[in-house]
Amino acid sequence: MEVSKKTSPNPTELIDWLNDEGVLELDWDFPEGGDLAGAGLDSMAVMQLVVAVEDRWHIELGPEDLTKANLATPITLAALIAGKTS
Amino acid sequence: MKPPRGLFDLAVIGGGSAGIAAAVTAARTGARTLLIDRHGFTGGMGTASLVHTFCGLYLLRTEPGAVIANPGFASEIAGLMIHATGVGPLRMGRVDVLPQHPVDFVRIADELIAAEPSLELRLHSEVSGVSRKDEHWEIQLCGRAGIDRVDARKLIDSSGDAVVAGLLGGGSVMSESPRLQRPAYVFGVHSAASMSEESRLHTAGLIVEGIRGGHIPADALGISFRASGRAGEIFGSIDLAGSDGVSIFNPLDTACLTDLEVRGRRIATQVLRWLCARSESWQDAYISHWPVRAGIRESRRWIGEYTLTGTDVLAGKRFDDEIALATWPMEFREDAKGPKLRYPKGNRPTGIPVRCLRPLGIHDLWVAGRCISADHEAQASIRVMGTCFATGEAAGRAAVG
Repeated sequence: MEVSKKTSPNPTELIDWLNDEGVLELDWDFPEGGDLAGAGLDSMAVMQLVVAVEDRWHIELGPEDLTKANLATPITLAALIAGKTS
Repeated sequence: MKPPRGLFDLAVIGGGSAGIAAAVTAARTGARTLLIDRHGFTGGMGTASLVHTFCGLYLLRTEPGAVIANPGFASEIAGLMIHATGVGPLRMGRVDVLPQHPVDFVRIADELIAAEPSLELRLHSEVSGVSRKDEHWEIQLCGRAGIDRVDARKLIDSSGDAVVAGLLGGGSVMSESPRLQRPAYVFGVHSAASMSEESRLHTAGLIVEGIRGGHIPADALGISFRASGRAGEIFGSIDLAGSDGVSIFNPLDTACLTDLEVRGRRIATQVLRWLCARSESWQDAYISHWPVRAGIRESRRWIGEYTLTGTDVLAGKRFDDEIALATWPMEFREDAKGPKLRYPKGNRPTGIPVRCLRPLGIHDLWVAGRCISADHEAQASIRVMGTCFATGEAAGRAAVG
């Protein structure tokens, strides 16, 4: 599927992308509202995430964006990215 | 102090987690044992390199609660550490770990060693030669006074680098960089912000911002900070590779190690400087201690009567002659993308056969710790301190049994 660089991901696409990038290893049936911290999104993985998001969507996530609430689930993370790309 | 004389029943080369376990276990049977280490204290990675977590102590399980995998010395050390720190096992993701403090570890090891009348400790000594003389081993120890010689009937190589294989001229193998697991550079920090999850995430954002702006080197990506359990103190950890950041690293090459140590300190200094300038919660923080040496995850390994494989670990294979259980998932630190964990089917533990502690074709020699006979993948599981206690204990028992 060809996706424009500007198009923000939906939560399911985001799950696939996190796996493809090697940021996290999520089960194929990982829920859109699943707990990302519990799945290994710790401060080290977050650094990889920020770099990969910047590569893919050309947006910069700063310290103020990296809150537990924003990184809680694929849904909230997709919303964070969407907010920056719009 | 007089140099040790006469024939020892056993000499243990390297006083890390495996060597302490081996020497104390052997000495408890009454065997006259010599434990040799190059530093001013024992503990190896857990003290000199500030690795502050005992991994591999507990079974993998989905149910809550940590269950010890290997009774005996590993369990004993865990109990002593919990008593010292007041902190029990923690569930981190899918694994249970025991936070440990290097300062407590040094003291606990001193006390365990001092309690054994038939155990002699020799610090500040590098082994510079090993040879077979009649029915025993002659070991050359190098200290500031020169070369000293000691004799022992049996030998355990718990050096982490298969030092005895190097001195005997073979019987070992080493993965090549960049596949070799990256070393960890761990340092102490005082007066930093609280290490709540929220502040850790914020700090991660500051690090990326610092790299983006060219204030700190890209090598700092993946740095992590964790509370030490002592008031105001945290540990920082950075995974490092060779000087070009990608390829050549040889943990046996002192020039490589020199580069690693200096770079670790430089990056840590730059990171702290950046965080102090950029964040109120970091403004009073300072680096309070350096490791004696960088933490090596993988080095030269012995080739034994059996080589434990990654396939064995993934399947949770068991053996009739197993002497310990490996429970840590295979933890790969091969590239800058952070740790990758491979879990065994059904969280099964893997048996470590005694044959992994028996170098092929050499009598009266055992190996324990991270340099036992395992392939690159299995070594990514068995290298952790909790498992090293268990292989050390088994080697100590087998050597004098």
